[in-house]
Amino acid sequence: MQRTQALMIQIATGDSRSINKQITDAVRMKIATGELREGTQLPSVRGLAQQLTINPNTVAKAYAELTTEGWLESRAGVGLYVAPTRQRLSESERERRLDDAVQRFVHDVVALDYPASVLQQRVQLALRALGVRKSA
Amino acid sequence: MSAVRTAVPTPVQAEAEWAIETRALSKRYGGKLALDALDLQIARGGIHAIVGANGAGKSTLFRVLLGFLPPTSGTAAILGCDSQRLKPSDRRRIGFVNEEHTLPGWMRVAALIAMQRRLYPLWSQAALDSVLGQFHVLPDQHVSELSRGERAGLNLALALAQRPDILVLDEPTLGLDVVAKRAFLEALMYSNEAAASTVIYCSHQMEEIERVADNLIILERGQLRNASAPDTFCARVSHWIAEFPFQPPPPANVPGLLQMQRLDGLNHYVVLDQSAEFAEFLRSAGARTVNCMAVSLDRAVNSFLAKNHAAPAAA
Repeated sequence: MQRTQALMIQIATGDSRSINKQITDAVRMKIATGELREGTQLPSVRGLAQQLTINPNTVAKAYAELTTEGWLESRAGVGLYVAPTRQRLSESERERRLDDAVQRFVHDVVALDYPASVLQQRVQLALRALGVRKSA
Repeated sequence: MSAVRTAVPTPVQAEAEWAIETRALSKRYGGKLALDALDLQIARGGIHAIVGANGAGKSTLFRVLLGFLPPTSGTAAILGCDSQRLKPSDRRRIGFVNEEHTLPGWMRVAALIAMQRRLYPLWSQAALDSVLGQFHVLPDQHVSELSRGERAGLNLALALAQRPDILVLDEPTLGLDVVAKRAFLEALMYSNEAAASTVIYCSHQMEEIERVADNLIILERGQLRNASAPDTFCARVSHWIAEFPFQPPPPANVPGLLQMQRLDGLNHYVVLDQSAEFAEFLRSAGARTVNCMAVSLDRAVNSFLAKNHAAPAAA
């Protein structure tokens, strides 16, 4: 019997991301980092809404989006669970996001003036700590 | 899940489709048009926030809708009933909390509650207690002895307890402390009494609107300017920063311009309904660099209203 796991997320009003987007981003991140494991039950719509003091419809919308994208699956009458891992993004979207991330990283580190070898090594270490696989 | 609002509730018999419907509604005070041929339809269910600058016509709209003021022209209907011909049985279904929280000051709290309870057959004592319990209000106090925040709490509790089909709230959280405000928002979003009704909510506090509103209605000078989900509205507004080594384009030529500022030699534009073509526009106008970012709801509404906001004549 899997119990609902607490969803430790914060939302901020006045952010340029909508509350809906802040929830979907946070849940995706938690699933991607393994903090929320496959088969974990998420808080109810009402529960999360009350936790964050927001309109339940906003939570329902965010959950629906995550379900459509394949991050969550609903079990009729029971609740929402973290879905088994599979590729959730289209190939071109994956490519685009990787490009964005690399761009951002390069922008940040270029001013620090480290040689490329040091940067590569540090990225490798960080990935290893997260347990990202070595080859496809 | 029972208290989760449905945007499209099942219609009951000949129930009106709209909670609120106005057609070419105008209200003139002397030389000033407070409502200018306003066509507004608000669906049943959900929480609808109405924002607008001071004097945009929000309070006038409420007064006309509730039948306190006759329109100059056009029609207004609430729950499918003509606002000018509301019967006591219609009024029973309407909860209203005005911003001044006008309650009879000479009455004691207990007597006021007893009177309301007799007037409203669907009365929910539980709803009253859950909201009023957040305030230190004693039954034998006179209403005139309550603080502004306590009066607001009492007023809200009375309106919720009557279990109205539509709840109209004009600046309901003004003057509430942080704890009371949170309790009120929770009552609005999670109580079964509020979930069963359509909530029309007028506020200047974007932080609250972002949390509670299903629908954002923007009034400007008595006209409807937006009716959509808050994040949909937010996505229409974008902030661009461009560097013009030479002359920037004249503001009148900038498409969708809401707000412009020149800061540290860079031109900041907040624009409405512009896509990637706006970057092309800036470049072709001579911009050397162009950057774009999303804005918060607060900034989006602020820029939107700033465009036509009253301002002193330029020096």
